[in-house]
Amino acid sequence: MNYDYNLSAIAVPLILAAGSVLVLLTDVLLGKKAKDSAYQTTLTILALAGVFCFTRWGTGGSAFFGQVYTDGFTSFFNLAFLTVGFLVVLNSPNYLIRNGIDHGEYYMLILLALLGMTFMASAGDLLIFFLGLETMSICLYVLAGFHKSRAKSNESSLKYLLLGAFFTGFLLYGMALVYGQVGSTNLAEISNYLAEAANPLGGYMGIGLALLLIGLTFKMAVVPFHFWSPDVYDGAPTPVTAFMSTAPKAAAFAAALRIFYHPGIELGIPWENVLWVLAVLTMTVGNFAALAQTSVKRMLAYSSITHAGYLLVGFLASNELGASGMLFYLFMYGFMNVGAFTIAYLVNRRGKGNYNLSDFAQLGTKSPMLAALMSIFMLSLTGIPPLAGFFGKLYIFSAAVQEGYVWLVVIAVLNSAISVFYYLRVMVMMYMREGEDLADLEKAPTVAITAVICGLAILIFGLFPSPLLDLARASIIALL
Amino acid sequence: MILHFLTQAVFWFLVILTVGSAIVVVFNKRILHSAFALLFTLCGVAGLYVFLSADFLAASQMLVYVGGILTLIIFGVFLTARMYNMSIPEQTHQRFLALLPVLGLGGIIFYVLNSAEWHLITPMVAPTTENLGKMLLTTYLVPFEVASMLLLAALIGAIRLARPRKEDHDD
Repeated sequence: MNYDYNLSAIAVPLILAAGSVLVLLTDVLLGKKAKDSAYQTTLTILALAGVFCFTRWGTGGSAFFGQVYTDGFTSFFNLAFLTVGFLVVLNSPNYLIRNGIDHGEYYMLILLALLGMTFMASAGDLLIFFLGLETMSICLYVLAGFHKSRAKSNESSLKYLLLGAFFTGFLLYGMALVYGQVGSTNLAEISNYLAEAANPLGGYMGIGLALLLIGLTFKMAVVPFHFWSPDVYDGAPTPVTAFMSTAPKAAAFAAALRIFYHPGIELGIPWENVLWVLAVLTMTVGNFAALAQTSVKRMLAYSSITHAGYLLVGFLASNELGASGMLFYLFMYGFMNVGAFTIAYLVNRRGKGNYNLSDFAQLGTKSPMLAALMSIFMLSLTGIPPLAGFFGKLYIFSAAVQEGYVWLVVIAVLNSAISVFYYLRVMVMMYMREGEDLADLEKAPTVAITAVICGLAILIFGLFPSPLLDLARASIIALL
Repeated sequence: MILHFLTQAVFWFLVILTVGSAIVVVFNKRILHSAFALLFTLCGVAGLYVFLSADFLAASQMLVYVGGILTLIIFGVFLTARMYNMSIPEQTHQRFLALLPVLGLGGIIFYVLNSAEWHLITPMVAPTTENLGKMLLTTYLVPFEVASMLLLAALIGAIRLARPRKEDHDD
């Protein structure tokens, strides 16, 4: 038997696994004396994992008998997950302490959720992918309900758990059918089977892969499997919402790319039509629902559905530009959404705590800095040049046009135009509306730092998008 | 000859145990009696696995279903005061409508059983656990370890959600 235990191939998840136990121990041993020991340990671990991810950038190939891939794609997504994780952890203590829920388990669960995501992106086997997805999901179910004394948080957790378990059934059933047809869960074996079979999607293969895709679209919150997301995002603690709306979505798209862009496993034509319809529905339904929201948190929840629709456009294009555009977009979307939720949380403290849009009134004069940052996030989410969100959309849409999806892109651009309305409404509120004189903003340095980092990242990668895009392109080569 | 007879006798005993107690599960009015009858059904299934020389499956059937899930059901019944003596309504409404899916499903099962090509293989008496153990620590080492992290996350999460702690104010 050949020796294939290359531990450095899974260095990032190993650090996260060891780190999660370490965080738990520091919280138990030092938590009483130094309140923020778990917080600092978590930040250190995430930074360490980031350094490892960067210095040992994947060069291709697989390890552990084809169970995990160690290519640039894995490293790119690991970096994206760790970045979002770092930003979310950085701004969490403020919220947790204020609500009396600053327990070490919070950080531990974030680390384990990230561990699950890294395996989703690197999976060379459906088994690994499934275990990664479940590890991530279980952590998210608990994190959504972390604010136990609040009914909405419980509702959020329960809804997510019940629907998540239901869709796990679809996913697992699809995998079982694929296994029944191929006799293996390994992606390489599956693509070998598809290459040799006379009728690749015959038997149980077509329905198996379709069920697999349905399970994934649930995690992406694609219409019509999106009903959970507004309530879950609304009820969860705000830093958790920022986390849930970005990293797991990126992980679901990473897994979809990994499985369905795997050389040899390609989407058939009937599915392209289905995905076309799903993309249009997702963009449109998310947008029109977002128009009607008065709560910023819910508005952002619906807008994240819309963004899943834009990403599906890139997924459909299935060429190099589209896929690398998706990677770029997912990376940047993390900065935009975490930043927007962070500021929404800060501003919400001035009002009655309902994340009302009217809380933003006069923010432009009260705190020009925060207002400017929020404007960056809103403009970037809309896709206004020269911010990073614009380039993400540009790459995805032009890739789709290259592949002949002209009408799809027309609909996507129209949707972007509609989204201007609700994103700019926040800015109008900040700069032009007279509002009741709300209390002053609280001083929360870590939260402000998070927002500044997000804003700078969007500006820098908006002005100089090519390094990141080149990195994304190099990462996607392994798949295409 | 005697061995063959004994094997047959044990097999039919297991079949009757499984099916008979399953019938009790369905038709009994007391939920606790049903739960105990389920114990025999699950043990019978484990015995049938032994006949298929799937020793690992039989052992995990005993551990997971009998040791875990069944205990959970019985605990659930004991801890829910009103369920202990609750009688389950078992009148059947719409007998004719119910007959359609029953006949349909029965027909499908009969058709599949009838049309399948059954291959009789010589039973392997070698234990499967050795190979499974080797596989878990070689080819499937990573999934095995990830599963343990998943369980850790579930444990910690469950404790966090279930354990009462003083919690304060609202957002």
